[in-house]
Amino acid sequence: MWKLNSKGGFTSLIIFTVLALAWIAGFASRLFAVIRFESIIHEFDPWFNYRATAYMVEHGFYNFLNWFDDRAWYPLGRIVGGTVYPGLMITSGSIHYILHLLNINVHIRDVCVFLAPIFSGLTAISTYLLTKELWSTGAGLFAACFIAIVPGYISRSVAGSYDNEGIAIFALQFTYYLWVKSVKSGSIFWSCMTALSYFYMVSAWGGYVFIINLIPLHVFVLILMGRYSNRLFISYTTFYILGLLLSMQIPFVGFQPIRTSEHMAASGVFALIVAVAALKYCQSVLTKSEFKTFFYFGVLAVASIVFLAVVVLTYAGYIAPWSGRFYSLWDVSYAKIHIPIIASVSEHQPTTWFSFFFDLHVLVPTFPAGLWYCIKNINDERVFVVLYALSAVYFAGVMVRLMLTLTPVVCILSGVAFSTLLDFYLRDNDTPRPNESDDEEEKAKTGGRRLYDKAGRVPKMKHEQVREPDGIGSNLRSFVLVVLVLLLMLFSVHCTWITSNAYSSPSVVLASYGNDGTRQILDDFREAYYWLWQNTQDDARIMSWWDYGYQIAGMANRTTLVDNNTWNNSHIALVGKAMSSNESAAYKIMTSLDVDYVLVIFGGVIGYSGDDINKFLWMVRIAEGEHPQEIRESDYFTEQGEFRVDAQGSPTLLNCLMYKLSYYRFGELRLDYRNPPGFDRTRNTIIGNKDFSLTYLEEAYTTEHWLVRIYRVKKPHEFNRPRIPVSSRIIKSQHFTSKKNSKRRKGTLKNKALVVKGKRPLKQS
Amino acid sequence: MRFPGILLISLFINSISAKSTLVLLDNVLIKETHYTFFQSLRDRGYELTFKIADDSSLHLAKYGEYIYENLIIFAPSVEEFGGSLSVDTITQFIDDGGNVLVAASSSTGDAIRELASECGLEIDEEGAYVIDHFNFDATDSGQHTKIIVPSKNLIDAPVIVGDKTEIDNNSEKQELSPLLYQGTGILIDTENPLVLPLLTADSTAYSYNPNQPIKEYPHAVGKNVVLIAGLQARNNARVVFSGSLSFFSDEFITSPLEKPQDEIKFNRTGNKIVADEISKWVFKEHGTLRVRSVKHHKLGETEPPKAYTVMDKVVYTIEIDILKDGEWVPFEADDIQLEFVRIDPFIRTTLKRQSSGEYQAKFKIPDVYGVYQFKVDYDRVGYTHLYSTTQVSVRPLQHTQYERFIPSAYPYYASAFSMMFGVFIFSFVFLHFKDEPEKKKSD
Repeated sequence: MWKLNSKGGFTSLIIFTVLALAWIAGFASRLFAVIRFESIIHEFDPWFNYRATAYMVEHGFYNFLNWFDDRAWYPLGRIVGGTVYPGLMITSGSIHYILHLLNINVHIRDVCVFLAPIFSGLTAISTYLLTKELWSTGAGLFAACFIAIVPGYISRSVAGSYDNEGIAIFALQFTYYLWVKSVKSGSIFWSCMTALSYFYMVSAWGGYVFIINLIPLHVFVLILMGRYSNRLFISYTTFYILGLLLSMQIPFVGFQPIRTSEHMAASGVFALIVAVAALKYCQSVLTKSEFKTFFYFGVLAVASIVFLAVVVLTYAGYIAPWSGRFYSLWDVSYAKIHIPIIASVSEHQPTTWFSFFFDLHVLVPTFPAGLWYCIKNINDERVFVVLYALSAVYFAGVMVRLMLTLTPVVCILSGVAFSTLLDFYLRDNDTPRPNESDDEEEKAKTGGRRLYDKAGRVPKMKHEQVREPDGIGSNLRSFVLVVLVLLLMLFSVHCTWITSNAYSSPSVVLASYGNDGTRQILDDFREAYYWLWQNTQDDARIMSWWDYGYQIAGMANRTTLVDNNTWNNSHIALVGKAMSSNESAAYKIMTSLDVDYVLVIFGGVIGYSGDDINKFLWMVRIAEGEHPQEIRESDYFTEQGEFRVDAQGSPTLLNCLMYKLSYYRFGELRLDYRNPPGFDRTRNTIIGNKDFSLTYLEEAYTTEHWLVRIYRVKKPHEFNRPRIPVSSRIIKSQHFTSKKNSKRRKGTLKNKALVVKGKRPLKQS
Repeated sequence: MRFPGILLISLFINSISAKSTLVLLDNVLIKETHYTFFQSLRDRGYELTFKIADDSSLHLAKYGEYIYENLIIFAPSVEEFGGSLSVDTITQFIDDGGNVLVAASSSTGDAIRELASECGLEIDEEGAYVIDHFNFDATDSGQHTKIIVPSKNLIDAPVIVGDKTEIDNNSEKQELSPLLYQGTGILIDTENPLVLPLLTADSTAYSYNPNQPIKEYPHAVGKNVVLIAGLQARNNARVVFSGSLSFFSDEFITSPLEKPQDEIKFNRTGNKIVADEISKWVFKEHGTLRVRSVKHHKLGETEPPKAYTVMDKVVYTIEIDILKDGEWVPFEADDIQLEFVRIDPFIRTTLKRQSSGEYQAKFKIPDVYGVYQFKVDYDRVGYTHLYSTTQVSVRPLQHTQYERFIPSAYPYYASAFSMMFGVFIFSFVFLHFKDEPEKKKSD
């Protein structure tokens, strides 16, 4: 007994150590951005989350809930409390609160910056728990280590990337863990916990829809497989009812769970499982043959009734049909045709094969192996992970962004695969291998993984029937092990490299590297926002494309017209229309919207490719969607169908507001001696329309590298007099040449009587 | 405290009344031939500085400050202004709020033409006169250029041209005598809302060079011939162009009128009254409005809230002043409207004049949240453009402001509570009516 206890203690010590190391490794590898740049909020959405969090910390939760932001979406305003998933703000707000209770004075910004790295550790732990429920402790530790450093997850959770996904993946994994636990145990306690965790997930991220569809799918498949049990009934019904009620408490979600199609599968399955339970009860009453027919009819009837009810209610308008974002999950080209605003977001594009490798590396080939093991040794909870894997693979293929939901399951299944493999090759002769592999693995960078085999080896897994490998020699064994360890090492090197190079740029501050490797910081964005903050009126209204709305609000604290919360397509289309019309038409829109300043991003000087000209076609498309009479996309292409800004570009493009604002006075700028003036480095052409002036706007500020250009919109009274231009005058008069010079300041009068002494007065002609 | 205040006020009044005006002339003679007009200006407190238009020491501004408030250019033939003055500086003067009165003639120099087209109007060709073969004065030289214009041709705006009446010898009000005019025609762009035809010719008139046979259609005929045009720029600077310099002269002001064909006679022309009224308007003695104060608050409160809530009842009060004899007095009108705008006006209502002289509107904010503006946009011919916007936020209901108990939900409340009660009863039944009471320990 004593011996067993100590062994158990040793095991948990290892588990604890591995998880702690995974946490630390995950945390540390997310700090590249902070070390290279500074503790700053990244990108776009995080700026809003940060602003909202700061507001909540300052004004309290209820004021946050009732916050009507009159500085966004001018003049519509935005009810922030009702249009936001508050989980993120509440999480960091409460961390901030607790730290302050303990008299640890941390600024809320630092809490926000480091929230996602901290939660990555929690994700690792919940992944461990889930995998342990599904397979084994060893696989769990593997999965935890994978998820800690896998780029697919790091991309959304580096320090400073203060976004919903950072905490939502933890909530997702934890909900799944609790769900599996409750299916396994069939206890009301665990399903209540599932519902609570689901509630947290709902409060944190719109991706909760994935859960509320995957769990019913799991239940449905289990029923189809004939794996119905009372455990399943108890856990699902409890979870569904509680989860439904809880999710409706989030103001942004509101009545959606009972009124939109996305949620109907869950209620359908609820009806089904109740019907199945009723049938099962009938089974105890009826005879077997009677029951068989009764059962099939019953199931069919229930299923069709549910389906019909949903269809009828949808037609009657009680249930909203699928939203556009969900359509685009089924039909990849749907968004491109119907909703350009969704298609215009780069993270809504279909995933390339390259990015699968980029984000997952060695896990891509190993995860099908894990999936195979799960299918081979199927049980209730493994059905779940199989469904999870299949659906996530599909969604990740449709949208780059949903790579994030695929990553955890890939980690779980790869963990399973690695664990099984190592088990298989290490099991036979225990004595020499562990030391050897320990030595090898100590060379690997991530500490979490190297202790695995001890941990995986120790508990005897009951569901594994490892056949004694016949004819596998020790050479082969060691060869396989070396290859595996090498793969893992390569994986960790890859992860670190990707994290440091691809995912650690704040995108608010840019860095460029010179030929000699020196780093140059381009801080143009903050320079421009600081200028706005210091030099414009407090209630100045800034028009820019929606990408920069959150940053302007967060950093410059000025009113914006549109921002990254793209809830009102027609308002965005209005801004797009202003940007794509000519100056005078744009001026009408701008005055009707009371615009004071216009901000454009221009990358032609430094070769920054994410600038407004490159995004411009989306503005045109979105504007065309709402104003097809005035804006036509084809006008902006050449006759050959090219989008070009040089002299061959279409005249509509060369005269639209966006072009003019981007290239105003750019034709005078000569960047280097090899290129003529007006050479655009981003598009590698000489611009087509160099010499123009602005009538209705004036340049207010241009940053050091011309990255951000701010223009002031002139007020009507600045066009004071209705001047008649020379060309449209009816009475043509010859131009009078001035006779004044620096010495002679006298003017000229026509027909002036000249008095010259000694002469008779003459008339000047 | 009181004395410095009074001192300050008197200083203020002084600075208003001593309105420095630069008068540019073709030659010094004009000072004498237009004595009556200048004298009436002086009587009204203007400080006139006479200069010849080509004087090399002309300046409108010194050290970036304007030294004159108003400018009179009675120098039609100027080709180029002297000193630092030029068309550009004059247009800049207008853009900075200065008022200008310009008189042209049939021989108008380029500087005046340039200035005119900067203000959105054009002066007819060199040598062109307004000719009217039906309405000319008896003293006309035969070319029918000294024309008689009935006072009904004046623009229908009492603020600018007065009420078109005069007091006759019997001190009774009667219609204003016709006006005497000799000079060139002015062309204005009819689509331009800022330029006003203050005086137009009769339908029998046209503008052409009387010494040349008519080969082509005149630039302006009939009512399109504008004799005096006014511009109120968007910054409320006022500019008046007259096609005739002699319109303001003593000769035209004092001479009797006689229309030979109709045998109509008048003792005196209406020129004096119209010239005075126009000069009052152009130098902003008339029709200058301002907003003294804007207040808004919820009904029953006095202070404006940080943000209104949808469907609040709101009271908006505005005080509008008009400048009368150098003093700001409450302005009276019944057509001032208030708009409550969020891109489009959601509410448009006429402001009601209160007994205290302020204008007030009470209305209910619509059930649409957003950022609104109280907008008073009062733009009437002759008056300065009165434009006042006040931005307010209208927020949706707070979570505590919704109905807590909705009548239609009572069945649900009833069902929930009856269910709870039923379960409570049931649990008793379940626990106590079993055969083995131990069972309650198990879940």
